[in-house]
Amino acid sequence: MRSRHIKATLVMLATTPFLSGCSTDQISGLGFEKGVSSVNDHSLSLWQGAWIAAGVVGVITLILILWPVMFHRKKNEEFPKQTAHNNFVEVTFTVIPFIIVAVLFYFTAVKESAITKVSADSQVSHQIEVVGIQWSWQFVYKDAGDFPAATVTGTPAQAPTLYLPQGERVKFTINSNDVVHGFWIPAFMIQIQNLPGVENHLEFSANKLGTYPGRCNILCGRNHSQMLFNVKVVTPAEYQNYLDSLKALNQLELDKAATA
Amino acid sequence: MTTYAQRPTITASTSAPTSKGKLFVKFITSTDHKTIGYLYLITSFVWFLIGGLLALALRAELARPGLQFLSNEQYNQIFTMHGTIMLLMFATPLFVGFANVIMPLQIGAADVAFPRLNMLSYWLYLFGGTMTFVGFLTPGGAASFGWTAYAPLSSAQYSPGIGGDLWLVGLAISGIGTILGGVNFITTIFTMRAPGMTMFRMSIFSWNVLLTSILVLLAFPPLAAAFLGLEADRAFGSHIFDPANGGAMLWQHLFWFFGHPEVYILALPFFGIATEILPVFSRKPIFGYKGLIAATIAISALSVSVWAHHMFASGQVLLPFFSFMTFLIGVPTGVKFVNWIGTMWRGSISFDTPMLFVLGFLITFLFGGLTGIILASPPLDFAVSASYFVVAHFHYVLFGTVVFAMFAGFYFWWPKMTGHMLNERLGKIHFWTLFFGFHTTFLIQHWLGIKGFPRRYADYLASDGFTGMNMISTVGSGLLALSMIPFFINIWQSRNTPKVTVDDPWGYGNSLEWATSCPPPRHNFTSMPRIRSERPAFDLHYPHMAEKSGH
Repeated sequence: MRSRHIKATLVMLATTPFLSGCSTDQISGLGFEKGVSSVNDHSLSLWQGAWIAAGVVGVITLILILWPVMFHRKKNEEFPKQTAHNNFVEVTFTVIPFIIVAVLFYFTAVKESAITKVSADSQVSHQIEVVGIQWSWQFVYKDAGDFPAATVTGTPAQAPTLYLPQGERVKFTINSNDVVHGFWIPAFMIQIQNLPGVENHLEFSANKLGTYPGRCNILCGRNHSQMLFNVKVVTPAEYQNYLDSLKALNQLELDKAATA
Repeated sequence: MTTYAQRPTITASTSAPTSKGKLFVKFITSTDHKTIGYLYLITSFVWFLIGGLLALALRAELARPGLQFLSNEQYNQIFTMHGTIMLLMFATPLFVGFANVIMPLQIGAADVAFPRLNMLSYWLYLFGGTMTFVGFLTPGGAASFGWTAYAPLSSAQYSPGIGGDLWLVGLAISGIGTILGGVNFITTIFTMRAPGMTMFRMSIFSWNVLLTSILVLLAFPPLAAAFLGLEADRAFGSHIFDPANGGAMLWQHLFWFFGHPEVYILALPFFGIATEILPVFSRKPIFGYKGLIAATIAISALSVSVWAHHMFASGQVLLPFFSFMTFLIGVPTGVKFVNWIGTMWRGSISFDTPMLFVLGFLITFLFGGLTGIILASPPLDFAVSASYFVVAHFHYVLFGTVVFAMFAGFYFWWPKMTGHMLNERLGKIHFWTLFFGFHTTFLIQHWLGIKGFPRRYADYLASDGFTGMNMISTVGSGLLALSMIPFFINIWQSRNTPKVTVDDPWGYGNSLEWATSCPPPRHNFTSMPRIRSERPAFDLHYPHMAEKSGH
């Protein structure tokens, strides 16, 4: 019978995710790359796990919706049994979702406290202040000394680049000069709002050499979509050279100001 | 000894207006809940079409990198008004429209409790909404700070121009109309139910109208207060939302304290419509009626305690609390799915257009719900929040619920409202075009978000790798727009179809509106059937079934 084949296929589809039993290492990052940042190290497994759970729940529910659609169609004028409730089914399907979200919440709480953990200033060797301005970014490298040339300011037409030392934790101070902005590095799975009048903090390490796009993701006015930046992850030695060049540039600026 | 007065026989008055002018005067002066409901439905549907045209402009601009025909500023105005119109001038009043037309019929009332207040609510909505929209005619253009109007971007300093003021005051006026509507519905449900119509015999749609109205009373006053406070900042130089006083966070809290219940204000009535339709076309009672009500109460209660999940990335909220409360909403939502599936299970299902739209709702909302669980987890929210992933998520939730269930409700109650059936063939063409158009537009946007495309961007770089996905989405939006054509042909044609002569053209209606004529007389009922279960019309038409189930 045709409908029996369909039924068998549907049941197999529903159980596939359980049967395959793959570990998180074997499946793809579902859009994100492994090992790019310390945030990815925490979040990626949760991202994969949550999608597996969502996939299982989604496929089963979809099949449960399509099952009566295919097999319980109107065949004659007779009324079907007028079942109005079934306490066992109702209680079971209240408890199961609760267990699922409780498990998800456990992993969420663990990962989230690891991601949002910020060390005291004395315990970090790199500090960068990220200031949102209409409509670009200002990166203040604090460990280059507290003077203006350590500041890199972009424009909407000329996106600035944020240099990060590979594998070393950096503490960020996030704030805004005018309206709310959003500091987002998609590949690093992290974002936080730049709020005027409020200081936010963030700490992570970038672990893979390369250049990654960063974008403002909170509407901040006319040129919101031009508020881009690049993240360049370099070796710690190159990072030091970059900071030195910023210092030299700073000295040049100061000299210029003195002679003018 | 008790004596009963003889029940007077009321004959349905058939004083249909004869000329277009008289019909117009009748429409704008009526206090009949049905007429006011039709005004709400028509007006909100017009806003739906306007909001849809704005969306097409956004999609057209995004099809390719570079700015083709809109400037940044125009783009910002258009998405601001698209969001504002769809949420506050289309979906919210659409609920008021359906509630007005259907709820008094379902509880066996002659009208709502305050008919003239009802009319006032409508005029406040119409004028408030129009006021918000006419910002486009001012020199500076309409509001362009997003429908969320985050402070301080929405201040006079960063968004000067009368467009922003019109937006704030117009929405505050329209919001007062919504609040008055909520008062009206709550009073009606508590005081005007027909004899025998106990709370636990009331239809799920009416229950959801009650709970939605309670949410309106919780959510809209803070919104109106916040809008008027911001307007005071803009016009009179007060410092309520000054960032120096913590105004940036204050705005987010106030706005989302409205904004999250608002999602349920939009969802619950349309869950209600789906719940009305499923049993009729499955020829079974609702599965787990009381459990469903309990789930809806739980959702309503939870919905006022999760607002800060919109602010996970602000770095200023207690993540575990708001994350857990948000996860918890998944439980009663799951219960609802069990009830909907249970209603169909071992039923005798037919696939008339209303049922198709409900199935479209179930499948679309399922996916929107699952991505909602993903976003409820702060670490995952940090990865994709404020991106197209979120845009896709809330369109699955809101379009999936509001638009699919709206069309389900239109097809289902069209004979009740107009006395004419809509064409099934055109209805099915309409459904499948809408279904494929919607999913082509929005499914791909999840990947766009994961790949890093932020929401509210007028432009992107060719090197970003967003072009192909944006193009697919834009093509889908065109298909979605085309799906309106069979619907318009359908309603135009339905004028000439034969009149519906029976009370219940679908044959298996449960709630009371199917126990009166199509359309109902001025005061709704010429006689009231016995109400002994949550299916009074079904009991009336199939007395042998009522006896069997032992009511």
